[in-house]
Amino acid sequence: MPLIGTLALALALVLAGYSIIANVVGARASIPSLTASARHALWAMCAMVTVAVGALSTSLLHSDFSLEYVASYTSFSLPTIYKITALWGGQQGSLLFWTWLLTIFTSLVAFQNRRRNPDMTPYALAVLAGIAIFFLGMLNFVTRPFELLAVIPTDGQDLNPLLQNYWMAIHPPSLYTGYVSASVPFAFGAAALMVGRLDDSWIRSTRRWAIFSWFFLTLGNLFGARWAYEVLGWGGYWAWDPVENAAFMPWLVMTAYLHSVMIQERKDMLKVWNLVLIGMAFALTLFGTFITRSGVISSVHSFTQSGLGPYFLTFLIAVVVLYTALLLSRVKQLRTPAEFESYLSREAAFLFNNLVLVGIAFAVFWGTLFPVLSEAVRGVKITVGPPFFDKVNGPLALALIFLMGVGPLIAWRRSSFDSLAKTFASPAIFGVTTGVCAFIAGLREWYVLTALSLAAFVLGTIVVEFRRGVSARRHMVGESVPVAIVNLIGKNNRRYGGYVIHIGVVLAFTGIVASAFFKTEVKKSVKQGDSFQVGAYELEFLGMNTTETAHVETSRARVEVRRNGRPIAMMEPAKLFFKRLQQPATAVAIRSTPAADLYVVLAGIDDQSGLATFQVFLTPLVFWLWAGGVIMALGTVIVMWPNVRERAVIAAAVRVPLPIQDDSQVVPGGD
Amino acid sequence: MPKRLRFAIGTALIVAAIGYLIVAAVRNTAEYYLTVNEVRVRQSELAGQMLRVAGRVAPGSIAWDPISLTLSFGLAQPPPADQPGVKPIAANVGGVARFHVICRGEPKPDMFAANRDVIVEGTLAADGTIEARQVLTSCPSKYVPKQPATAR
Repeated sequence: MPLIGTLALALALVLAGYSIIANVVGARASIPSLTASARHALWAMCAMVTVAVGALSTSLLHSDFSLEYVASYTSFSLPTIYKITALWGGQQGSLLFWTWLLTIFTSLVAFQNRRRNPDMTPYALAVLAGIAIFFLGMLNFVTRPFELLAVIPTDGQDLNPLLQNYWMAIHPPSLYTGYVSASVPFAFGAAALMVGRLDDSWIRSTRRWAIFSWFFLTLGNLFGARWAYEVLGWGGYWAWDPVENAAFMPWLVMTAYLHSVMIQERKDMLKVWNLVLIGMAFALTLFGTFITRSGVISSVHSFTQSGLGPYFLTFLIAVVVLYTALLLSRVKQLRTPAEFESYLSREAAFLFNNLVLVGIAFAVFWGTLFPVLSEAVRGVKITVGPPFFDKVNGPLALALIFLMGVGPLIAWRRSSFDSLAKTFASPAIFGVTTGVCAFIAGLREWYVLTALSLAAFVLGTIVVEFRRGVSARRHMVGESVPVAIVNLIGKNNRRYGGYVIHIGVVLAFTGIVASAFFKTEVKKSVKQGDSFQVGAYELEFLGMNTTETAHVETSRARVEVRRNGRPIAMMEPAKLFFKRLQQPATAVAIRSTPAADLYVVLAGIDDQSGLATFQVFLTPLVFWLWAGGVIMALGTVIVMWPNVRERAVIAAAVRVPLPIQDDSQVVPGGD
Repeated sequence: MPKRLRFAIGTALIVAAIGYLIVAAVRNTAEYYLTVNEVRVRQSELAGQMLRVAGRVAPGSIAWDPISLTLSFGLAQPPPADQPGVKPIAANVGGVARFHVICRGEPKPDMFAANRDVIVEGTLAADGTIEARQVLTSCPSKYVPKQPATAR
């Protein structure tokens, strides 16, 4: 197996190199058979990497400890599911997995565009193959997944217990999918610059890829947060750790990109800006890997500090320099006569939304790099913790939510005060009323009051939009309300799917604000039979219960939860002990309701006194963060759903220019 | 005023506002991130300040009271040129505690043990005690030194 894997990776590297040359030469000299062969080379490259992934997975499943990777990240007693997920649990495996996704996406792009975009595609594929060369080079020469051990150990070192969790099984693949698919629009942006096709065809051709990337970045961040919430046992889900920030920044920039491309498609503005954004998004995916793997920034979620840092940094700098040079060489041709007419216009709202999103990304970047920068400039390492990020991003998030309400409804070009008043009167009244009601109900935190008002305002605007659309359909087609809603979404999936995403964002935002401001925490050491109060709940410690498997020893506390004297739940927080690693871990018990989460941690058991220490968090509305996330995902699926009308437009648009070559004779995949 | 200029001013104002938020927040939240030795050198000027100190838990110094949730231990400088990890502090250093850390009202972290690398967040009192708000343990599993690997 190791031999097969090593050979497959070497072949894949050669194929990637060939594909770059064949693509570029084929495109320059207009030799369709050469670009076709470049495409086939990419498919073969993907097949080779797939073989390598298969080889490593097989070795993991069979616990072949002659492989260093298998011995480092698994053990005999590790449950099978985590033997598979160990594929992305360690450094070499995760790079291999990354490369695999990249080659799959590259093959899909090659297939999708086998007859479309004949001018840009070879260059875009060459860019993707270039990225693949970097990763394959790492896998072949620097951090080899099929490294063998001189002495075969009797058992492996096991997977980090914190990673033995189902969210950790799906979080890295989601995030990697999001990261890697961002390289597709980037490659087309670069290709557009190379060939000088500076209209919006690169954006249109990769729109779904961009949304696909955003979808998985969203899920990846949410799964990571959910993992932190369930596993780390501190009652929160986000700590502004460098590793989290590394995943959050590309999401922010991708969000900005998805919005600003709408302005280019409609108004032919912001052309340079869009190319900058997609370049930034791609660079940030590399940067994220760089900071988590290099040890430049200390993170509590420590990854292996490895020698990969310099390679990633070099590649990152090369990408940024080359792309910037390419962009600068075309800047004159990218100028457009169109300009912003008025602050009170949709263009302006989108521009500001972009500034705020990139501003947040920059603040996160700055805060993450602050220790490094301060050490370089002042010679002292100074860190900024979560308070920094909260202080900066709190107000910016409010601005963003406000713009989210205004942007989709305000008129293009310019808006009169009359039309503004007409459009926004009822949502504004709804928002203010919500704020006033919350104030009367006893809320005094100005931030929360503003956040709630804005959230209600945005929901109001979305309701107005839906009502407008539905009543139009009812008048024109005479449909009933539910049918009209379904058809409205179906016929304009980009627009109404977007609104669904916005609903999800508002709910998630509400959950974040409420959980940040109103979390209560009780820490208590109690004897068996004792009870204590947390908010309206009474918790009684009934006793311990210990179970044991070959892999892990579990000490489970039984805690009865009562409200008004009536038992409502039995919660069982536990301490785990992983035998192979001789390492303890915590299993949290969570009782989640839309109103509040009761989160019970068994923080410690004292063997001498028999005392159990509990740490209990009562977090209001945090449920809505996850519910909002689900709705965002649902909305994104609606946006991505194939739309017949749009297909026709794209097909017409991409076939117009350059009839130089038509390689439709070539049967795809027929090598 | 030309439209382009008007928009340039608006954009500049927003960028300036974001910049101001960042600068103000840095001023209010910055903490020194130091090693035990660095704190030692600058002890007098750092007294009373919020710090993050990276060090290693000195063996034999840990006291944990589960009732009051009070953890106290000695924080030592790891020997130089040593990979962070679970290797014991070298005998000639003796594991002598350099700073006494007290953390009240927080549960003991799972990974907390002698010779573990920790980050202590708290204030330095004049007598050299660090009143910790938080003790973070770095996860050791991935730092285990690997057996030298050679391809066959």
